Amino acid sequence: MSLRKTYLRDGEPVTVVAERVGGDHWRVRVGDAVHEFRAGALGNGGVRIVPVGERAEPACTAFGAQSGKDYMIRVGGRTFTLQEPQTVRARGGAAVGDGAVRAPMTGTVLAVSCKVGDAVTADQTLVVVTAMKMEHKLMAGIAGVVKRVSATVGGTVEQGAVLVEVEPQKETHS
Amino acid sequence: MVKPPPFRRVLIANRGEIAVRICRGLRELGIESIAVHSEVDRKCAHVMAADHAFPLGGNSAAESYLDVGKILSAAKAMDAQAIHPGYGFLSENANFARAVREAGLVFLGPNPEAMERLGGKSAAREEAMKAGVPVIPGTETDDGDASLIAAAKRIGLPVMVKASAGGGGRGMRLVYEEKDLAEAIAAGRREAKASFGDDRMIVEKAVFPARHIEIQMIGDKYGDVVSLHERECSVQRRHQKVLEEAPSPVVGDSLRQRMGDAAVKLAKAVGYDNAGTAEFLVDDQGNFYFLEVNARLQVEHPVTELVTGVDLVHLQVRVAAGERLADLLKDRDLRPRGHAMEVRVCAENPEGGFLPAAGLLRLVREPEGPGIRVDSGVYSGWDVPVFYDSLLAKVIVYAPDRATACTRLSQALRDAAYLGIPTNVDFLRRLVDDPDFRRGDIRTDFLNRKPGIAKPTEIPPDDFVLAAAVLTQALLPHAGNAAPSNTGDAIPAARTSASVWRELSGLRLLGGQQ
Repeated sequence: MSLRKTYLRDGEPVTVVAERVGGDHWRVRVGDAVHEFRAGALGNGGVRIVPVGERAEPACTAFGAQSGKDYMIRVGGRTFTLQEPQTVRARGGAAVGDGAVRAPMTGTVLAVSCKVGDAVTADQTLVVVTAMKMEHKLMAGIAGVVKRVSATVGGTVEQGAVLVEVEPQKETHS
Repeated sequence: MVKPPPFRRVLIANRGEIAVRICRGLRELGIESIAVHSEVDRKCAHVMAADHAFPLGGNSAAESYLDVGKILSAAKAMDAQAIHPGYGFLSENANFARAVREAGLVFLGPNPEAMERLGGKSAAREEAMKAGVPVIPGTETDDGDASLIAAAKRIGLPVMVKASAGGGGRGMRLVYEEKDLAEAIAAGRREAKASFGDDRMIVEKAVFPARHIEIQMIGDKYGDVVSLHERECSVQRRHQKVLEEAPSPVVGDSLRQRMGDAAVKLAKAVGYDNAGTAEFLVDDQGNFYFLEVNARLQVEHPVTELVTGVDLVHLQVRVAAGERLADLLKDRDLRPRGHAMEVRVCAENPEGGFLPAAGLLRLVREPEGPGIRVDSGVYSGWDVPVFYDSLLAKVIVYAPDRATACTRLSQALRDAAYLGIPTNVDFLRRLVDDPDFRRGDIRTDFLNRKPGIAKPTEIPPDDFVLAAAVLTQALLPHAGNAAPSNTGDAIPAARTSASVWRELSGLRLLGGQQ
């Protein structure tokens, strides 16, 4: 059997292909490099990975789990959250200060302190979201006029949801 | 001689890891435990740990774990003789303690009169001053925003704005400039109202940076109070404790004695009769200032248990049942032995500004080994709710000395895996591995001075990491993909052995009552 995945490393896509050579023997191609391992699943949800060959790298047990669209891998006492290139594109990757005020985490709206048509400054708090007993103030990010408000007090919001849209201030020459 | 259990059944008015820990303590005493739970918590770890379960309905804290009426009804329906409040929620609410007593039940905490005299920060200050315990200059009462702002100016900035009823850093803010006072007070009031149902605030001179050191004590119904010595809790983030240890690297026998005496004197003065903690700030000259009393079991109580050998939950139950400390602690050497250290594993993203991160924990593997204790409230497949705080579990280690405790904790965190949502595990490990931390050079501003612990230089995944990611998915395509256990109704039906059925009886009862 074999499995192929592409992840971002330093912003660049790297294709990883794992191929079972026989028994517990795997050949893994990471970009242009080829590595060989002995690998086997453990009953505790982990996978034991033993590098094969001249390399002196120690064996380790890796634990992995999906996290939303990303894959979390814990190996050597560190957690890496790996992203696939297409999911990063799909997220839109809106820049900070594009006028869209997004919920930074899933939570409940505690206060909305703006309405459509309000002129706001970049550091003005527009919405307060709470999750796990902590409050988070969401600022406008840019100076401008509130175009849309989709947050309501007491409402639940998903991480990444756009709560307020601010239209950038028009250049004025007066 | 084996003593008979002091109660037959005890209801735990709490959730998560502390409720699990209390269940264990009760079982050791031969007492049946009753869990209560909100809707999303139907299959929370504490419900699994208890002998019985009772649904409170609702999801927000206000409509579940903070609802006195519902909890008392549950206690009555389940025939409980006593209620353990845990920490947070109703634990320091004197009205709740009184309502429990009036319902003919035993409250496993201090009496409401002592709680009222010590529970609020401002009341506690007055009592401390009366008892001759040094306090930080500040306000004793809340006479409205204007008077708090005036007091702040009189004391001199920076000041600490705090919730009078507070604990755990909720509603607390360090304010440097006058213009920020009004907003700090308003935000503090909102947080305090949401967390404690009491929005009164106080203002104190900021003693900063300093060490946060607290004294664990336990009292009985006969006026006896014993100090179980200090815990060092200086490593904090936004006034929330991150790591706690005992003994403190800077407290010697003399300071330990003086702080312990001050705490005991204060507790005796108000008739304190259960577990409680007096918090102090200690400056570099060894002066200590009383902050507040936490009239309850603390999150960090395990480090005291490990170095003194007592079980605080057992003691809480026994003194509340009328036993004497003189008998319970007879012939016990309570001097601290060895070194204990605890970290709080939280569902939050340190690398992303510490935003809370509720969601599905697909794979949980908790550390084990000599000298490692894990007090956990989660398991693989648990969907961490947004409604309560972000604490998932506490990893606690015990070793002969501080240096060994540090390496043991670092290795324990290396072995820990909480995957599916961001957690602070790697952050905690960087903290424990920090050379200044290892030297014990810590103040409450430690993490502010060490931004690299929260935001390290990013290390891109090497080939081995990428290979491991693909190998784990190739070999265990379904591992780490546990379906959320707390959504949907299905309870594994194929497991029918008598012992399993007995353990699931709480869930069946719950199903029958909904």
